[in-house]
Amino acid sequence: MNLMKIVMKNMRQRALATWLTGTSVALGVALAIAIILIKQGVQQRFEQGTVGYEMVVGAKGSPLQLVLNTVYNLDISPGNISWKLFEQLRADPRVKLAVPFSVGDNFHGFRIVGTTDAFFKDFEFEPGHKPELAAGRVFTFTEAALKSAFQEAEQRAKEREARERGDEVKPAPAPEGTPANRPFEAVIGSIVARETGLQTGQTFIAAHGVQPSAEAKEHTENPWTVVGILAPTRTAADRAIYINLDSFYHIEGHELREPTAPAKVEEKDNDPDPGQVSSIVLKLRSPIHAFPLYRQINDRQDAMAAFPAAEIRKLFDIVGNIDRLLFAQAILVLVVAGVAIAVSIYNSMSERRREIAILRALGARRATIFSIVLLEAMTICVMGAAAGLLGGHLVVAAANGALYRASGFVIPAFHIQALEWYILSIAVILGAISGIGPAWGAYRTDVAKNLAPSS
Amino acid sequence: MNEVLTLRNISKRFREADGNLLEVIRLRQFELGSGEQTVLVGESGSGKSTLLNLIAGILLPDEGEIVVNGTNPTRLSEAARDRFRAVNIGYVFQSFNLLQGFTALENVLLGQMFGGGKTDPDRAIHLLKSVGLEHRLHHKPRALSVGEQQRVAIARALANAPPLVLADEPTGSLDAKNGAAVLELLRRVCTEGKHTLLLVTHDPQVMKSFEKVVRLEDLR
Repeated sequence: MNLMKIVMKNMRQRALATWLTGTSVALGVALAIAIILIKQGVQQRFEQGTVGYEMVVGAKGSPLQLVLNTVYNLDISPGNISWKLFEQLRADPRVKLAVPFSVGDNFHGFRIVGTTDAFFKDFEFEPGHKPELAAGRVFTFTEAALKSAFQEAEQRAKEREARERGDEVKPAPAPEGTPANRPFEAVIGSIVARETGLQTGQTFIAAHGVQPSAEAKEHTENPWTVVGILAPTRTAADRAIYINLDSFYHIEGHELREPTAPAKVEEKDNDPDPGQVSSIVLKLRSPIHAFPLYRQINDRQDAMAAFPAAEIRKLFDIVGNIDRLLFAQAILVLVVAGVAIAVSIYNSMSERRREIAILRALGARRATIFSIVLLEAMTICVMGAAAGLLGGHLVVAAANGALYRASGFVIPAFHIQALEWYILSIAVILGAISGIGPAWGAYRTDVAKNLAPSS
Repeated sequence: MNEVLTLRNISKRFREADGNLLEVIRLRQFELGSGEQTVLVGESGSGKSTLLNLIAGILLPDEGEIVVNGTNPTRLSEAARDRFRAVNIGYVFQSFNLLQGFTALENVLLGQMFGGGKTDPDRAIHLLKSVGLEHRLHHKPRALSVGEQQRVAIARALANAPPLVLADEPTGSLDAKNGAAVLELLRRVCTEGKHTLLLVTHDPQVMKSFEKVVRLEDLR
C-alpha cells in the first residue's frame, strides 16, 4: 500500500469523472501535438523541397509566387521570361546547370510542366538524388526541335492576329527542322500514375490552364503518350507531368507572348528573342556566386531571381503567426481541462471529506492528504497528456495518406519533437495547479466533524 | 500496573453559532492501566466522542494534560501527533469508517501505512483471520455484512499493535446479536494482544459485560 495506490483507487472510484477530465486533457494535448507535428513536418518538407532548387528565375512579380509555381507546382505562373535569358544564364560560367520550365496545362488537376531532358539527367532533388524512373524512359530533347516549335508558335500567333483583323490567312509551310511526326511524350510522377492509372504507352488529353476547370479547352488535337513513370521522390515532382518543352510550344493556345516586362533597351539587339519559358532553375558552381548573380538578374527589368529556401522561410514566418494562434488555442483547451479537473475534484470533496477524516484518524498527516489530492490531479493530467501525445501522433499518421495524395509528401508522424516534452511538462504543471485548490480544501478538512456518524 | 492513559484537569470548549463558548468536556482525573478494559458511560451529547478525539490527538484540549503510553501528544507538532496516533492508538468507530474503494485487506493495510514502517500484509491477513474474516480478505465493504465490516474495523485498529484501543459506540450500528458478537470479539483480541481498551457507550447491555464502568459525570 502506498500513496499512488490510494490515488489510483480514488480515480477508479470516480471513474466517469476521471475519464471525462482525462479525455479533455488528452484532446488539448493531441491538438497541440498535431499542430506541432503538422507545422514542423510541412515546414521541413517545404524546406527540403527547395534543396535542389538553389535559385529560380522568372518574370518580375512576387518571388514567393515564382517559387511556389516552379518548385511546388502551386499557384499560377507570374509570367514569361525570354529564352535568350535562359541561353545567357546557361552560358554563364558561374552557372553549373540551368533547367527551363514552362507551365500552362493540366491533366485531372496534375500540372503539366514543359522542360528539357536535363531535368532527368542533371538535376538533383538533393545532392546525389536525381529523378529515377520506375518504368519506361525519358523523352529526348533537342534544341533544334525547340527552336522550330518557337517558330511555329510565333507563326500561329501572327495568323491569329491576322484572323482577328479579318485578313485572309494562308497556312505557312513548316519551319526548317520540324520533324515529320513530332513526338508528344510525357514522363509522369508517381502520384499521377497511381491516381490516374496511367501506364507507359497510354495516352492522355491535357486541358488548358494549370488548374482544372469545367470550361477549360482540351487539347484533343495532341494526345500525349506516357513514356516514363518517375519513382517516388517525396517532392512536388510526384504530382507533376513532365513533357518535352518543344511539344509544349506546338500546342494550340501556347503562342508566344511578349515577356511580362520589356527587356532593357540595351538588350533589344538585332537578334530577336526566339521564345519564352515560365521559369528557370539554376544550380551554381559555388555558393559565392549566388548573391552577385541574384543582384545582376534582379537589376534587369524583365526578370527576377529568388532563393526558394529564403522565400519558404519568409512564408513560414507569416504562417507561424497562424500556428501560434492554433497553439494558443490548444493551450486554452488544456487550461479549460485543468479547470474541469479542479471542479471535478472539488465536486467530489463532500464525499471525500469522510475518507480524508478516516485517513487522518489512522495517522495520515495533513501533508499526506494534500499530496494524495494533488497527485490525483497530476496523474489525471499526465495520463491524459500521455494519451493525447499518442493520439496526436496517431491523428497525424492517419492523416498522412490523405496528405500524401493531396501534396505528395508525408509528415514523420512518430518522430518525437522537443516541443512535445514542454507540452507534457505544461500538462504536469497544469495538473499541479488545478490540484492545489482541492488539495488545500482536503488539507483543511475538520477531522472530528467528519468522523461523526452520518444520520 | 503501568498507566497507558492518564487524563488530568481536561477541559474542552466549542464556540457556538451565537458566539458563546460551550464547555463540552470537564474532567478532573482519569487513568487506565495497561491491558485494562474499561467502559466509559455517558448520555448522548455528553462529550464521549469528543473525549476520545482528545485522547487520539485529533482535537486539542483547551486545558489539562493527556498522557498516552508515557507521552503527552498535545506537546507534539501536528505531524508528530499524527504519527504518534498511528502507532499508539487504534480507533474503532460506530459507523465502521472503512474506505469503500478498498478491500478488507487493503483497509487493514491502510491502518499500517501511516505508522512509519512498511506495511505488513502477513500481519494484516493474520488480524483478519483472528476476527474470522479469512474468507473475506478481498471483499470490499459493500460486499460485507455490517457485522463483518465492524470486524474489519477492529482488525484495522489493531494493525500497528497499539497499546491503546479506543472504541466509540462500536455496537451502535449493529443488531443485538451482531453487537454482542463484535463486543466479545473486540474484548478477546484486546486481551490476546494485551491492548488497553477504552470503550464509550450509552448502551446498558454493553456496560453489563464490563467489570470496570466509569460514568463521565463522575469524572467532572
